[in-house]
Amino acid sequence: MNGFASTARLVVVGGMTSYRALFNWTTPSMYIGTLFASPLFQLLFFVYVGRGLGVAGDEFLIVGNAVLSCSVAGIFGGTMAIANERRYGTLGTVLLSPRSRAAIFLGRGLPYVLNGALVSVTMLGAAALLLGWRTPVDRLPALVLTTLVGAIACTAFGLTLGSVGLRLRDIWLVTNITSALMLLLTGVIVPSGELPALLRGIGSVLPLTHSVAAARHITDGDGFGAAGPDLLIEVGIAVAYTLIAVVLLRVFETEARRRAVLDAM
Amino acid sequence: MYAIEADNLHRTYRTSSGWIRRTRRTITAVDGVSFQVPPGELFGLLGPNGAGKTTTIKILNTLLLPTGGTARIHGLDVTRHTAEVRRRIGYVFGGDRGLYDRLSALDNLRYFAELYEVDPRVQRRRIEELLELVGLTGRQKERVEGYSRGMKQRLHIARGLLHDPDVIFLDEPTLGVDPVAARDLRAMIAELVRSGRTVLLTTHYMFEAEELCDRIGVITSGRMRALGTPGELKRHAQDRVVVEAEVYGVDEEQLDALRAERGVRGVTVDQRGMLQVIVVQCDIDGDAEPERFRSFVRQSLAHLKLGRVEVREPTLEDAYVGIVTGQEAAAPETTAVLS
Repeated sequence: MNGFASTARLVVVGGMTSYRALFNWTTPSMYIGTLFASPLFQLLFFVYVGRGLGVAGDEFLIVGNAVLSCSVAGIFGGTMAIANERRYGTLGTVLLSPRSRAAIFLGRGLPYVLNGALVSVTMLGAAALLLGWRTPVDRLPALVLTTLVGAIACTAFGLTLGSVGLRLRDIWLVTNITSALMLLLTGVIVPSGELPALLRGIGSVLPLTHSVAAARHITDGDGFGAAGPDLLIEVGIAVAYTLIAVVLLRVFETEARRRAVLDAM
Repeated sequence: MYAIEADNLHRTYRTSSGWIRRTRRTITAVDGVSFQVPPGELFGLLGPNGAGKTTTIKILNTLLLPTGGTARIHGLDVTRHTAEVRRRIGYVFGGDRGLYDRLSALDNLRYFAELYEVDPRVQRRRIEELLELVGLTGRQKERVEGYSRGMKQRLHIARGLLHDPDVIFLDEPTLGVDPVAARDLRAMIAELVRSGRTVLLTTHYMFEAEELCDRIGVITSGRMRALGTPGELKRHAQDRVVVEAEVYGVDEEQLDALRAERGVRGVTVDQRGMLQVIVVQCDIDGDAEPERFRSFVRQSLAHLKLGRVEVREPTLEDAYVGIVTGQEAAAPETTAVLS
C-alpha cells in the first residue's frame, strides 16, 4: 500500500474508530440530548426572547443559533479526541506509534466536522418546522457549505484545546468557558458591531464569527459572492488552528520525552 | 549485534515545590545502567518499586529521552532513529489501562493495526491469529470494559504483537492477574521467545523470573546491582542460610535486635493477615552456624506467640532480597528515586 493511501486510511478508518473510542456522548440519549435537544431548546429560547422583547428578528437568531449549534460537537468533540487519551491511559500506546501525529490526530476531527454540520442543518430544519422559518431553496447549498466550514473551524479549535489538554489537566474548564464566550463574541446572538472593539477583536479570531456573517449574507439574499470573503477568512482560521494544534502536539510530545512532564503511561 | 543495548544510561528529573520559597530538586531515576540483550533472549529486569525499571524501559522504547548514555535497539539509537525503533518494538503494559474500554477487542486491534501501519491486506488474518494465540477467539466482539484483568492483559499482548516486532517489552504483565491466567500468560511469554523474539520482562515475582528468564538484572536506586543467569544470582546467597520464623506481633525494635546480631545480613517481614513471616538471612561460617542462628531467632522471639522456625537453603528470592536490601542500605541518602 503506498504512503498516501496508507495515510488516507489512517485518517478515515482511524478517525472513525477513535470517534467511537473517545467521544463521551455516543449513547443515544447523550448523543440526541447533548447534540440536538440542547441546541434546539437554546434556539427556541432566543427566538422567543427576541420576539418577546422585540430585540431581533427570527431569522437573525435562527441562523446565528443554527450555525452556533455545530460548536458543541466540534469544540467538545475535538477536545475529547485528544485529551481523552490521557483519561483512558492510552496516550502512551498512541505515542509509541511510528506514524505521523498530524494524520493520527487530525483524522480524528473528521467525524466531528460531519456531526457538527449535521446538527446545524437539523437546527435549520427544526426552525422551518417549528418556527415557520423559510428561505429560498437555491440558498440552501451555500448555507450548508457555510455550516460545514464553521464545523471545520470549530473542530480545529477543539483539537487545539485538546492538544493543550495533554498538558493542562483541567482543559474542560477552558473548553466550557470558551464555549460560553462564543455565544457572546461570535455575533450569533449579539451583532458583532454592537460589541466593544476589544471583544470584537477577540471574536474575529474565534471560529464561527465569519461563518455566521457569511450565513447572514446568504440568507439576506446578497449571494454567495458576498459571503465568499467571510468564508475564506473562516477557512483561514480553521487552517491556523489546525497548524497550532499540530505544533502543540509536537512540542508537548518532545517536552514529554525530554522532561517527563506528561503522564503518558 | 545486540537486540537491546543500554550503555551507561542516566535519567534525572527536575522537580520544584512551594510557591513563595520555591525549592528545586534533581531526582536521579536511572544512574549509569548498562546491559546488553542478544537476539532471542528473555531478559528480566527486577527491582523494588521506584528502582528505575520503568524509566529504563521508557528510555529503551522511546517514550523518554535519556539525560546521559545511549540506548540502541538492533543497533538503532533510540533518540535518533525513533520511528525505526518504534517499528521494531512492542510494548505491553501491565494493568487495566492502555486499551479503549468502549471498543471491542477486535476494534481495539483494528485501530492499533492502523497506528502501527499493519498492511490492510494482512490485517484481518493477523488479528485472527493473535486472537487465537491469546485465547480471545469468540470474545473479540465484546467491549473491553467487560473484560477481566487477565483478558485485558492478553489483549495487551496481542496489541503489542500486531506489527510483528522483533523486541518486546513486557512491563509487569502478570500484575494483579489470577494464578491460572498468570500461568497462561507465562506460557505465552515463553512461546514468544521460542518464536525467536527478544523479550525484556519486568516483574516482582521471583518464581516467574526464575521460570522464564535466561538472564536477570537487578536494579535498585537507579543502578544495576547484579546481572546474570538465575543460577548465578543465586550464588549471591551461597554463603548464607535463611531462617524463616512464623510469629504474631513482632515490632520494629525486635527486628532491629535481630539485625544487630553478628552474621545477620538482612531481616524482612512478610505480613500474611495477622501472621508475620520473618526471613532472616545469615552468613554462615561453619557447620554449626545454621543451628546457632535458628536458636538465636527462636530465643529472640520466644516472648511472642511463635510458630514454625526453620532453616532452609536460600532461593532466588532470598538472593534478590539480599541484593536489594544490601544495596538500599548502602545507597546515598541524597539520591531520591522514581520509577
